Amino acid sequence: MSLLTLEHLTKQFGGLTAVNDCNLAVDAGEIHALIGPNGAGKTTLINQICGALQPTRGQIRFDGHDITHTPQHQRVRLGLARTFQITNLFKNYTVLENLELAVQARSGSSFHFWNPVQREMHLREEAEQITELLGLTFRNHTMVAQLSHGEQRQLEVGLALACKPKMLLLDEPMAGMGSEESGRMVELIARLSQNLTILLVEHDMDAVFRLAQRISVLVYGQVIASGHPEEIRANPDVHRAYLGDDHGGRHP
Amino acid sequence: MTRSLWRYLVPLGLLLVFPPIAYATGLEFYTGLITKIMIFALAASSLNLILGYGGMVSFGHAAYFGVGAYTVAILTREGVTSAWVIWPAALVLCALLAFLIGSICLRTRGVYFIMITLAFAQMIYFVVISFRQYGGEDGLRARRPDFGLFELSDTALYYLTLAVLVAALYAVARLVNSRFGRVLQAIRENESRAAAIGYPVYRFQLVAFVIAGTLAGLAGLLMAHYTQYASPNLLAWQQSGHLMMMVILGGVGQFWGGVLGAAALLVVEEILQGFTIYWQLGVGLILLLIVLFAPRGIAGLFGRRGS
Repeated sequence: MSLLTLEHLTKQFGGLTAVNDCNLAVDAGEIHALIGPNGAGKTTLINQICGALQPTRGQIRFDGHDITHTPQHQRVRLGLARTFQITNLFKNYTVLENLELAVQARSGSSFHFWNPVQREMHLREEAEQITELLGLTFRNHTMVAQLSHGEQRQLEVGLALACKPKMLLLDEPMAGMGSEESGRMVELIARLSQNLTILLVEHDMDAVFRLAQRISVLVYGQVIASGHPEEIRANPDVHRAYLGDDHGGRHP
Repeated sequence: MTRSLWRYLVPLGLLLVFPPIAYATGLEFYTGLITKIMIFALAASSLNLILGYGGMVSFGHAAYFGVGAYTVAILTREGVTSAWVIWPAALVLCALLAFLIGSICLRTRGVYFIMITLAFAQMIYFVVISFRQYGGEDGLRARRPDFGLFELSDTALYYLTLAVLVAALYAVARLVNSRFGRVLQAIRENESRAAAIGYPVYRFQLVAFVIAGTLAGLAGLLMAHYTQYASPNLLAWQQSGHLMMMVILGGVGQFWGGVLGAAALLVVEEILQGFTIYWQLGVGLILLLIVLFAPRGIAGLFGRRGS
């Protein structure tokens, strides 16, 4: 049963077609990796799924709802949370303050003008549970701007988790990480996938082949192949379009 | 706790005993000056709520200030005398106006937002001065309304303004530390992330915009009581700039920024006007120094964080 399906999704920016008649189905419970060369339209796709961009054509279905025109904040409430390729956090806030904001967003209305939010201990408690899960408890009261890059990337995922999603859209979670850091991220994603469906956009092929149950390949805004990792590895089109270039060599 | 409580009670006590002392020593002029400072403190604090806490650089805040004042003038001219009618009318009108202007302007960002808020305020300015029967460019006399319970003398107005200012500041202090206030500041810090974790950004900004506009209208109607006159100057873009200067001088996003900025700017203007007709040059220099050397304004000099 597909949790997320994209049908004929198309996004044009003026004359440029970034996503072109794209079809994709992500099953509940799987880690589905989305790979493709730079400029293939991966982030544009994520932006449409989460609602930051409106598609030009096509339909997005999530968990039985047609969410093509649903505003972003309601999609989060339905259970779709995303991370950003370029770290996008509340930099001048502490780690806990970042997470509390995300917890607050899904725990009742925030149109309350009178009572001090600091007295709502449950926000802090839930935020602390997430730092524990991330292994960032020792950073609870550190300003985000002072975290290492790897820690910031972990908090990116943490903020999405704090939304208690059914599905995570991870936009290059390993971007700019060293091998040790990305190892830890692989571990975290594997752990999260026990309870969550994950759409993983990633350039790190080792991570993709270790994590993904299915892989889709996006080239020039179109899914050219979709299947199990072995099928993708063996697919000649994929080799030509993507994997071949990834190793630097050119195959005649 | 007790120390911080004294920090509020001492200035409040001084303000409470000031009018009789001024009266006894023949310095009644200063009762008026302080009334004016308190009115501008309210207006600047309302701007600080959206500019400082919300990151919305509205360059049209004078619109609500002026409309508040004009509502008093026009209604009293049309024969309405009860403050219990005039006040709610002015506040509702300013809230509606802020809702209309905000719901359009908040679809833009950055320089466009600054320009479109300015454009709306200027539109209102030209509409108002085109009404000959309401004084046109000369402005309109605004009789003090009837409160029923007391006569609105200069001293009564002083205390009324003080009470309104204290109540409004208390409400704003509650607001910025509430759930709503936290989200508003988070949106200022990082709008796209706030949206990504599930906040309807536009709705939060619009509500803050309406609250700020209403508070500015409240200040405007007090201004009309103070001068007993609604001047088109209250609506002009220079007035928006004046309020913005107060916020920048006092401290953008600092809780006392509006109050300190209004007090500092009006006192400096008062002093410099006594020395030279080129007083605006002095004000400009002081603002320049603050921006260069104390970017968090006067409130920042005291080393306390705003929120």
